[in-house]
Amino acid sequence: MIRNYLKTAWRNLLGNKTTSFISMAGLAVGISCFLLLATYLVNELRYDTFHKNAGNIVRVAYKYQSPDDKEPRELAVTPTATVHVYKQQFSEIEDGVRIFNYSGNGQVTVSYGDKLFAEKQMLTADGSFFKIFSFNFLEGNAQNALSDPSSIVISSSAAKKYFGNEDPMGKVLKLNSDKNLTVTGVIEDVPSYSQIKFDMIANSAIDPGTKDLRWSSASNYSYLLLKPGTNRQALAKKMDAFIANIMKGEGRKGTTQYLLESLTKVHLYSKALYSLDTPGNLNNIYTLGVVAVILLLLACVNFLNLVTARSAERGKEIGVRKVMGAVRGQLFVQFIIEAAIITLVSLLIGVFILYLALPGFSTFTGQELSLHTWNASWLIGALIGLFVLVSFLAGTYPSLYLSAFKPIATLKGTSTTQPGGNLLRKSLVVFQFVVSVFFIISTLIAGNQLKFMQTVDTGINRDQVIVMDIGGLPYNKIEAFKNDLKQQSGIVASTASYDSPVNVRGGYSINAVDGKPTDYSLSVTAIPIEKDFVKTLGIKLLSGGDFNLSDEKAVQDTAYGKRKYSFILNETAVKAMGWKPEEAVGKRIGLNGRVGFIKAVAKDFNFASLHEEITPIVMFAEYDWFGKLLIKASAKNMQQTVTALQSKWKAFYPNKPFEYHFLDEEYEELYKADLRTGGILKAFTAVTIFISCLGLFGLAVFSTRLRTKEIGIRKVLGAGVTNIAALVSFDFIKLVIIAVIIASPLAYYVMHKWLQDFAFKVEIQWWIFALSAAFAVFIALATVSYQSVKAALTNPIKTLRSE
Amino acid sequence: MLSLQHISKYYQVGGNKNYVINDISLNVDEGEFVSIMGPSGSGKSTLLNIIGMLDEPTNGYHYFVDQPVHQLKEKQRSALYKQYIGFVFQAYHLIDELTVAENIETPLIYQDVKGSERKAMVADMLDRFQIVGKKDLFPAQLSGGQQQLVGIARALIAKPKLILADEPTGNLNSKQGEEIMELFRKLNKEDGVTIIQVTHSEKNAEYGSRIINLLDGKIESIKNL
Repeated sequence: MIRNYLKTAWRNLLGNKTTSFISMAGLAVGISCFLLLATYLVNELRYDTFHKNAGNIVRVAYKYQSPDDKEPRELAVTPTATVHVYKQQFSEIEDGVRIFNYSGNGQVTVSYGDKLFAEKQMLTADGSFFKIFSFNFLEGNAQNALSDPSSIVISSSAAKKYFGNEDPMGKVLKLNSDKNLTVTGVIEDVPSYSQIKFDMIANSAIDPGTKDLRWSSASNYSYLLLKPGTNRQALAKKMDAFIANIMKGEGRKGTTQYLLESLTKVHLYSKALYSLDTPGNLNNIYTLGVVAVILLLLACVNFLNLVTARSAERGKEIGVRKVMGAVRGQLFVQFIIEAAIITLVSLLIGVFILYLALPGFSTFTGQELSLHTWNASWLIGALIGLFVLVSFLAGTYPSLYLSAFKPIATLKGTSTTQPGGNLLRKSLVVFQFVVSVFFIISTLIAGNQLKFMQTVDTGINRDQVIVMDIGGLPYNKIEAFKNDLKQQSGIVASTASYDSPVNVRGGYSINAVDGKPTDYSLSVTAIPIEKDFVKTLGIKLLSGGDFNLSDEKAVQDTAYGKRKYSFILNETAVKAMGWKPEEAVGKRIGLNGRVGFIKAVAKDFNFASLHEEITPIVMFAEYDWFGKLLIKASAKNMQQTVTALQSKWKAFYPNKPFEYHFLDEEYEELYKADLRTGGILKAFTAVTIFISCLGLFGLAVFSTRLRTKEIGIRKVLGAGVTNIAALVSFDFIKLVIIAVIIASPLAYYVMHKWLQDFAFKVEIQWWIFALSAAFAVFIALATVSYQSVKAALTNPIKTLRSE
Repeated sequence: MLSLQHISKYYQVGGNKNYVINDISLNVDEGEFVSIMGPSGSGKSTLLNIIGMLDEPTNGYHYFVDQPVHQLKEKQRSALYKQYIGFVFQAYHLIDELTVAENIETPLIYQDVKGSERKAMVADMLDRFQIVGKKDLFPAQLSGGQQQLVGIARALIAKPKLILADEPTGNLNSKQGEEIMELFRKLNKEDGVTIIQVTHSEKNAEYGSRIINLLDGKIESIKNL
C-alpha cells in the first residue's frame, strides 16, 4: 500500500512540475533561512563552552558606585590585585589569571627580521592562562608555555605571517622594538566563539602596570577557576565583605561589589562594560528566534495553501479511491506521506542552500559559521525534528481537508473543487502578507534612519579625514611629521587627539568652577587635543578662540601643578553650568585637577554614536599622549596623497608599519550593529516577499479554478478580458489591503520602539506606509496577473461544457 | 439482493421540499440486469448513488444483502460496498497518475489483499480483457473505449456481486458502446453478476432484463424483457 502511495505521490510531483517546484522552493527557502538563523543561534549559545573547565570558570566583574553617581557602573575590568589576593584569601579558588588587552591602547608593533606588523589582538596574561583555558596547542604545551616572563604564544595564522614555513618555536619576536619575546607555543587559531580572542599572548611580566598589585584602578580582566561545587553566592558575599574592608582601609567612599559571572554566560548575559569581546545581545537572539520561526511558518502556510489549491485536480482521484473502498484514514496517510516526501526533498534542498549561504552569512555576521557549528548529532536531530514538524504542520490540514471530500461531488463533474476552507486559505495569505508588509515597512524605516545617520551633519566634518593610530608616539615626533606634511600638496590640515573624535570615551569631572560652591562637580566627557583639532575637523566655535602655540607652551611643564590649562567646552557643558556661550569664555574651571580657563565654546557636535544624546564635553590642550593622528586631505587625487603620506611615514618612522583608515570608517564602525540589522531586515524582507508571492500564486490558481464557471458565464454575457482580469485580481488586492491595514500599526509600533534607541532619529513618515502598501499591491498584482489573464482568456465553451 | 422501501430524497428550498426521489420502492434479485432510464433530472443517478451507498436518502428503508443499510454507520457501509459492489462511471474516472495495471489493482489495496495475490488477480484480469499489452500505459494514452474497459476491469477485480454503472457508454461512440454492453451481457449471463445501469439509450437499455423508467423522482413504468 505504501508503495502505491509513494508512486502516486512521486508521479504527482513530476506531473505538476510548476506547483511542485513552487511548493518545494518556498519550503526549501523557508527551511534554509530557519537553519541559517538556527546556526547563528547555536553559535551564540556555544560561546566559550569549548574550555574543559568551562563549568568552573568565572569572570569577575566590578560594580562600583561613588557617592555622587546616580547609578553603579558595572565594568568587566578589575584592579590588578584581585586575582592574587583572592587566590590567597579564599580556598574555594583553585587558580586564577589576569588578562590585559595589550593592544587595546593603540597598537603594538611586532617584528621578526624585516617583517613588521601592527598587531591588533595581543594580550598579556599570567602564566596560569593555559592551565585554566583550553586552547589547542600545535606546538609547545599548555603546562609551561607561558611560564617564562619573556615567552609568547602565537596563533597558527600569526606563525604563518611571521615565519612562513619555518618552525616558530624558539624564534624571537621583537615587540615595539625594545622587548624580545621567545615563541614558546603555537596554538590553533582562537575560535570566533571565544570571548578571549588573540593572535598573540605574552606573560604579564612585560606589562609594567600589572606588576604592582593595586586596588585603585581597574584595567585587568580577572578569571577564576573555582573548585567544583563551590557556592558562588556565598563566595561573592565573602568577597564583598573583604573588599569593603580594604576600601575602608584606603579611606575610599562608595560601594564596590564583585560579581562572579559564569564563563559561558558572559557573552550573552553580562552587562559589564568594556568586555574583551563585543558582547552578544540577548534581545537579538530572541528576535532572530522569532523571525526564524515566522519564516518557517510562512513556508509551511505556503505549502499548505498550494496543496489545498491543487484539490481540484486531486478531487477526482480522492473520489475514485473512496469509491474503490478507501477509508478516510487511508487517504489521510497517503496525503501525509506526500507532504513528507515534499518536505524531505525541500529539506535536502534547504540544507544545500544553507551550505551555500553560510560562508556569506559568516562574513556578514563576523562569526565563523558552518555546518560544523553544529554538533553532528544535534544537526541530525534538528533535521529530523524539522522534518517531522514541517510534514506535520504543512501536511495535516491539507490531508484532513482532502481526505474529507465526498466522492459523489467530485465524481459527478459538476464541481471539481470543494469550497470549504476558503476563509482559512485567505486568512493564511493575509498572514503571509502581514509579515511581508511588516518587513517592507520596517526595512524602509530602518533604511531611512541608517541613511540619516550617514548623512546628517554631526558638527564634525569627517570628509577625507585620514586616521592613523599612533598609540602614544612622542609629541615632538608628531609635530615634526605634521610640519613635514605642510609641504605636501593635497593635505589641508592635520592634528592629533587622545582618542577618536567620533567616539570620545574619557570620563572626567569639572570642579573648582568660578562662582560655584567648592563641592560642585559636573560629570563630563573630555579629550586631550592638539592645537589644530578644531580647525581640522571643522568644529564651529560660538565664542572665544581656537587653541594656539601659547596654550601648548602653557601645558608643557612636566609637573602638573605648574601647568596652565585652556579648555574648549561645548554649548551643552556651559549651559549645564548656567552660562551663555559669551559669558563662559575666560571663566576658571578645574578638570580632574587640571586648572585653567575656558578659551572657547564650541557648537554642539556628536562625539559618540547618534544613539546617545549630546552631553557636556571638554576639549583640552594636553600634549602628553595622543592615540590618533588626523589628516585632512583634499578631495582630489586621494590615492596620490596616501602614497605620499606612506613614503613620508616610512622615512620618519621605519619601525612602525604604515596603516591608515578614514574617519568615516570609524564613524560607520559605531553603527556596525545597526547596519547589520538593516542588512538582515533587507534579506528577510526579500525572503518573506518571495514566499508570500508563492502563497498568493497558489491561492490565485485555486480560486480562479473555483470561479471558472462564473468567469465562463460572464464571458458569454459579454465581459471583456480586462473586466475579468480586474474582477479576479481585485479579490486578491483586497487581501493585501487587509494585510497592509493590520501590518502598518504593528510595524509602526515596533519601529517606533527601535528608533527610541537613537537620540537622533528620523520621523516615521506616512509615505513609507503608502509606499509599502503600493509596493505590496504591485507585487501581488504581478503575481496574480498571470492567473487572472489566463482565466480571462480561457474559451468559455471549455469551462461550461462539463455541465 | 437489495430492497428499497419508500425511499425519498429531497432538498429543503425555502419552505418547499424539492424531491429528487419521491417514495420509490424497488427490489432487485441476484442475477438481474436492470436498466434505469428517464429524462434529465428524473433522479436516475441519485437512485444509483443511493443503491451504491454513496448517497443517503432522506427517508425510507434500504436493505442490501439482508443488511439494513439505513441503520449502518459510514464505516460499515463502506465495508459492505467494498465487498459487494463495483462501480463503472461515464467519465471512466481512472487515476491519471497510475498505470492501467495499477488502476486495476487499487480496490484490492483497500481490501488488504496481499501483494503477490494482487499481482496474480491483476494479471488474470488483464488477460481476460485482452489488455496485457497496455498494462504499463497511463490512462491518457488510451482511447475512451479502452479506458472504460480498464474501468470495468477495475470494477470487477474484487469479484463484486453487483455492478453499478452510471451511463457507462455516455462518452463512447456507438461501436465502443456496443462492445461494452456486450461485455456487460456476458458478465451477467456467464458470471451471474448483478448489474444495474443508468442509461439514456433505448438500445442499451434493452440489454437488460428489466427497464425502470423514472420521471420526476417516481417510477413511471417498469418493463420486463
